[in-house]
Amino acid sequence: MQREAWAVLLILLLAGAAAYAHVTTTTEEYSRYNTGWNGTSGFAGEEIRDLRGLDPGAALLILAPDRPFTAEEAGYLRAFLDGGGRVIIADEEGAANGLLADLGSTMRVRPGNLASLDRNHADPGLFLARVVGNDTLFAGVETVRVNRPAAVEGGEPLLETSILTWEDADGDGRITGSETFGKAVVGAREGNLTVLGDPSLFINAMLAENLEFIQNTRAVLLDGTHSRTGTANLILNARLWIQETPPAAAAAAALAVLPVAWHFGRKRDD
Amino acid sequence: MNPRVSHAILMAAAVLVLVLLGARAADPVLYTAENISTAAHADPATVQKRSPGNAAALVPLMDDLLGETGTLALTIKLKDYESAERDLARYSELSRQFDRLVVTLDVSGTDVGEFQQNNRQNQEALATLLNDTRRFEDLQSLEIEVRGDDEQHMAVVYEGEALRQKMREGFSAYAKRETATTRIAEHYEINATPYQESVEDFAEIADAADDWREEIGTGTKKSPLRIAVTPAEGRYGDTLLIAGTHASGRPGAPVEIYVDSRIAETVALDDGGSYRHPYRIGRVLAGPHLAYATAGPIYSEVAAFAILSGNTSITLALAEVNETTIACTGNLTTDDRPVTLAPVLLRVDDGTLVAAETDKNGTYEKEIALPAGEHTIRAEFHGAGYPLNASESPAETVTVRGEGLSPLPFAAALAALFGTGWYLRRRRNRREESPVVEPARETAEEAAVPPPQVEIAGLPPREAATVLFRTLRARLGIAETKTPRDCARIAPGHAGFFERYELIRYAGETPSEEELRAMEKEALGGDADAA
Repeated sequence: MQREAWAVLLILLLAGAAAYAHVTTTTEEYSRYNTGWNGTSGFAGEEIRDLRGLDPGAALLILAPDRPFTAEEAGYLRAFLDGGGRVIIADEEGAANGLLADLGSTMRVRPGNLASLDRNHADPGLFLARVVGNDTLFAGVETVRVNRPAAVEGGEPLLETSILTWEDADGDGRITGSETFGKAVVGAREGNLTVLGDPSLFINAMLAENLEFIQNTRAVLLDGTHSRTGTANLILNARLWIQETPPAAAAAAALAVLPVAWHFGRKRDD
Repeated sequence: MNPRVSHAILMAAAVLVLVLLGARAADPVLYTAENISTAAHADPATVQKRSPGNAAALVPLMDDLLGETGTLALTIKLKDYESAERDLARYSELSRQFDRLVVTLDVSGTDVGEFQQNNRQNQEALATLLNDTRRFEDLQSLEIEVRGDDEQHMAVVYEGEALRQKMREGFSAYAKRETATTRIAEHYEINATPYQESVEDFAEIADAADDWREEIGTGTKKSPLRIAVTPAEGRYGDTLLIAGTHASGRPGAPVEIYVDSRIAETVALDDGGSYRHPYRIGRVLAGPHLAYATAGPIYSEVAAFAILSGNTSITLALAEVNETTIACTGNLTTDDRPVTLAPVLLRVDDGTLVAAETDKNGTYEKEIALPAGEHTIRAEFHGAGYPLNASESPAETVTVRGEGLSPLPFAAALAALFGTGWYLRRRRNRREESPVVEPARETAEEAAVPPPQVEIAGLPPREAATVLFRTLRARLGIAETKTPRDCARIAPGHAGFFERYELIRYAGETPSEEELRAMEKEALGGDADAA
């Protein structure tokens, strides 16, 4: 019987660990709750969910945005930029182009499938880009390894690929047909507004690839409302809601404690 | 807790664990994560670290090549032939490096490939220019020496005219490439100035030859050795006819025919003073070419003809030779003609290059040893030196089984199994040979064994019974590991003794004095008739 009890305990522990892992993580791209290679759990930026009254001395990173900004939110960001704050938008799908237009920027993200020979990985989309502009974001950095980036049009170039780069339209990883070599800008700026064509720079698997660049971005605030970093799942959302709602947290604690108290109380009665 | 409840919880927990873990258990990512990626990015930790080649050297090499054209043309113009030889050697070496890099990086289908073709032609043109300029300088000296000897003078003049025409045609072709080469250079932000200067220098050299002709004033005199190439253009595999006449030639006199300053054939004049040579277009660059003939000291004029580039087609078929080797075969053709003795490259997994060569039928065959797993192979023809465009086969996929597992571990395991079996069997046989399992011989053996001494006086009855049990067990040669029940089975003649002791030992019964005496007697062999 004792042996059976240990087995029960062990299996319960295993079940608890597996259930905990499922409840507290997700596999969503760029999610802060994704501890896998394509999550951003390892990125140090502090997540915020309200764009009002941002500290003008801060830098805000909008990472892989997939939810639209209201006119009001764009206004907050304009005010933030006008006040000296810095906004970094990392996008490769062009979802940020609407916001860029609202902010009065000429920069645009041009989605595509850039590939380059300037690489040391078999994947043609995983290559080096050179820092060509003077910016604190790239202080002390000469090259940045990008991961399937998009080109950025307009603005002052900050990050540029080598001439041996091409738009791999047919996705075969080779330069064929009408594809031609040419430099592409994958990072640019206009005043305090910076656009990076590669949000993958901040995923867990890429953090070690560009250590100095990541060090330079440690102090940024991370927009958790429009960025895909805020992507969770139903269970995580419920957990977050409980954490952020004190009565719900109290109710959850009570639910956890009451059965134990009842159990021990009944034993004492016996 | 109620056992049913605990069992239910256990079952539910076990099912939960199995479902949660089982869903991932078969995922290969857990064991061999490779090329993990999504549309947005790849996991660099799982992507093979492999450079496509020294891409960083490509543009600097293009820059060096253009720089070399400028240096070489200048040294030729300055008639510094020693330096020009060195420059040409360096230029050739850089061109070879560049050709290799273009193939390795798989960029021959781009404007880099176009630059490569132009560079090959430039290299050949400058090498020819060096030889022609050197010979032209000799002729200029010779012309002065032979003035007064009309026959020799005319021979010099004819040869000089042939050289002049060659240089003029060579310059024309060289200058034609300037626009395309400069455009490519500008695209790659390469300084094209040395190359543009080389065009100017080439022009000056050709102009100098024109000036000499004007100077000696023999421009209107035609050579008696005539030459023509028909048709004036052709493609790989075509045959052009290089033919002409020698007005003052004797039948049977040899005529040497040169194509691009290299001797192509020596033919004899026929009775009518004509000669002919069918020239088959083989491994020669596309573009303009020159032919001339010599008959002794007499040089013909220069005939120009063009070789047009043709498209090629290459096939690839894979067949398994054995567990580790794949045979790659295919054909290289242009307009249904085989391309013979041409280099073919097999690109394995977009990386490794394996060289092969077509035979006289345009067929190539190469066996490649590959590690186990799936591989992609593509055959490529890069047209090096041929008037043919590059081509490649569709990529073919093959799965290599790899060498089977080594038989040694299996042999060792089998040997261990047999050894264990042999040992156990031997041990059992030895035990079976023991007298206790041979009830029929028990009596005789018992008689042979001297009766053991045992002292139970003063012991508690149960302990005394244990001593007697051990005594009897030892006397019968039964292993000490055997229980009373085992002993009763092994020596059924003493089953009563052992069954009684079993009750004493395990049921807690206490033997009486009489029982102990009877047991002592049996243990010491005093009950021989009991067996």
